[in-house]
Amino acid sequence: MTYVNISVENIESSDKGKPIKLIKFSGQLDESNVDESAKKIYKLVEENPEKLSLIFDFSDLDYMNSKSIGYLTDWYGRITGKDGKIVIAKAKENIRDILDVVGLTQLIHCYPSVEEAKLAIMTK
Amino acid sequence: MASEKPIHITITLPTNAYFLSGIRDFTLSLTKNLTGFNDQWAYRCQAVIDELCNNAIEHGSLPGEEITIMFISVKGEYIEFIVEDKGSNEKVTSADMNRLISERMSPTYEQKLGVRGRGLPQIVAGWTDEVEYTDAKPKGLRVRVRKYVKNTPGKKQNFMQDMTKNLALK
Repeated sequence: MTYVNISVENIESSDKGKPIKLIKFSGQLDESNVDESAKKIYKLVEENPEKLSLIFDFSDLDYMNSKSIGYLTDWYGRITGKDGKIVIAKAKENIRDILDVVGLTQLIHCYPSVEEAKLAIMTK
Repeated sequence: MASEKPIHITITLPTNAYFLSGIRDFTLSLTKNLTGFNDQWAYRCQAVIDELCNNAIEHGSLPGEEITIMFISVKGEYIEFIVEDKGSNEKVTSADMNRLISERMSPTYEQKLGVRGRGLPQIVAGWTDEVEYTDAKPKGLRVRVRKYVKNTPGKKQNFMQDMTKNLALK
């Protein structure tokens, strides 16, 4: 299995009813690991059914395949459908490029830093 | 200037997604060093080959089979990838695949995608100039994709060409 690591950090939120999680991906998301990795995020979504905000930190993500983009789109639909938000921070150029070609950057905003992503989540 | 001799590389791979990261690394290195494409296009070629191999493994192969990947590069001209599977229980022909790409690439196609379905029309067809499926013998599918270096935005500039152009401008 290709190496990938997913870590989840709680971000302090002024509104207790609006949980914010910072999810950092390291490694590569491909066919060998994407289904197993996706389960962690689906679990998080199930545990926080309303107003969940996710910041995906892609600074150490080196590759993502079309299926992982499909999952990202699915999480976007589920979370925004329950008044939540999803943003991406620090995506490398090749990751940003692949998100662009499938049109996902029209749905999910990409920010150059985690701080800017947090600010966007908390203020918008 | 005459074209350089094409480089042909053939790799046979067990139908296990475990090996895809190695193929991606190889593709990135090959494209960066032997084709004349810049880093952005090297990463794009890496994604194209990953999607093609994964399709061949998931839809075109039975467990324990192999897929064949061919890399053909003419430096400064084009890079071509050919991926061939041995067929599975899915009754899909090359005509079906060519039609599917054509439909999905159509501006009038209404996208209703789930988790799957982006790899071939959006990544493979989006980042190559030619995509062609043919039926393999005795069964299975063969997909050939080609990307031309010429007129590709961001291709690596030839130093001598740059110098000549700059001198001509002066």
